[in-house]
Amino acid sequence: MRLSLALFAVFFISIGFVSAQTYRGSGTVIDDGRFAASTKQLNQFFRRFNAEESPDGSKRYYPGDSLYHNIPLRQGFIQILFDNQTSSVNPSLKKEFIDHVLSGVYPQYINFHRDGWFAEVETEFIFNGRREQATLFLKIQPEGLGYEWVIEEVSFPTFQRLFNKPQGENKDFLHPLSHELGFMNLRRAFQDSGAPESYTEKAFSPDYLTLFLYEMNKGNLRFETVKGVKFHFFQIDGWYFEVNQFNRPGFNTGWLIANLVKLNPGDQETILDFIYDQN
Amino acid sequence: MKNRIYLSAIVFFLALTSGFSQSETISPARKQAIDSLALEKVKDLSQYISIIGSKETQFSEANRVMDRAEELFAPGAEMGVSSINSNDIAYYKVRRYFERLMALNYDRVNITWYDIQYISDLERQPDGRYVGVITVYQRFEGTSIETGMNYKDTTKKDITIYVEKKQTQIAGRTIDFWDVMLGDVRVTETSA
Repeated sequence: MRLSLALFAVFFISIGFVSAQTYRGSGTVIDDGRFAASTKQLNQFFRRFNAEESPDGSKRYYPGDSLYHNIPLRQGFIQILFDNQTSSVNPSLKKEFIDHVLSGVYPQYINFHRDGWFAEVETEFIFNGRREQATLFLKIQPEGLGYEWVIEEVSFPTFQRLFNKPQGENKDFLHPLSHELGFMNLRRAFQDSGAPESYTEKAFSPDYLTLFLYEMNKGNLRFETVKGVKFHFFQIDGWYFEVNQFNRPGFNTGWLIANLVKLNPGDQETILDFIYDQN
Repeated sequence: MKNRIYLSAIVFFLALTSGFSQSETISPARKQAIDSLALEKVKDLSQYISIIGSKETQFSEANRVMDRAEELFAPGAEMGVSSINSNDIAYYKVRRYFERLMALNYDRVNITWYDIQYISDLERQPDGRYVGVITVYQRFEGTSIETGMNYKDTTKKDITIYVEKKQTQIAGRTIDFWDVMLGDVRVTETSA
């Protein structure tokens, strides 16, 4: 165990001291350690978080390998999986999280195929001739012989602006004896009111994804490009963290934890509401 | 030459797959063999990109190399390119990407590759094929003699690989083997 920690330390210290890219005779550029240190894929984030690969990423560890899920190796990895330059994750909170994850009694791991994590994808669409931003939320689900990413929600401000259900005294309503008049007042509700959603039940919640797909199928909404991706994790009991990609000079780059929150009861729902931004 | 290398890789796979024919899961040993074959294809792609981009390559030779490079890819594969200044992804068909590379307006172009790569796990798709991603880094240097302009960048290339079990007839026997095709490539300019 001590040996693995020493190996890890030697690897990351040595790459930290070399400062320039050099050329090998064959024309190959020798990495000065920056790309080795970078968490290059989200796959590597999973492997590092769980200690399922060697410090330089060249060897995959499987159950039965001596360093698979090795605690000192994990500790070294998780330390470098935080954005240590721009995010303001409190050091004591970070330590508490690491201690929790590495618990000797109940160590916790993240799992690609398990629920409790999803992607947030910033995209750009052309809607009725105008460039508009849309945020898609995708998750992994089993399908056929394997797995696929599927769209779970969409946040599209253009739609959200259309659904602004008034509350309290400002809300129009169909009076309780409307039925006696054969609901003739629906004309006023739909033609004169600027907010027909006023006449929906309390539990009404617009299904933006259905609307989004409808507009796409009608040819009114055309995909343009992806502008950014981040990931949200709720797989560690009592904790939430966000993983972003950091493309910058130095050794603390790639997919890193940018936000860490210790969850109290009810916090998860609040954070999900905030992320999905459906209101 | 390349065909011979791939053939030998396939033979290697045959040896590996013979003991696993009942199972569709990929064992660590088989994964390692698939990684090697996939890396061979990525190295070939890297070499082809260097040849296509080089100003010393004649037009007809560049076209021939583009054909070979295209053969590495599954049909419809695209390159998604973004820069430091813009996160927007610009999409190009693989052939178009090579043509743009060939047409770059530099007198001297030098494309080199870093000695590092990262290979993901293989995940199974709904259709039963496996998919993985190999990450490599490329350094580009272009010089224009007339303007004296010297442009350099380093890009990260995340290359999709599709791994599929196929069958072939050898001496009248049907034999399974695993084949690798390249898919979409995400090209990101890095700050290195």
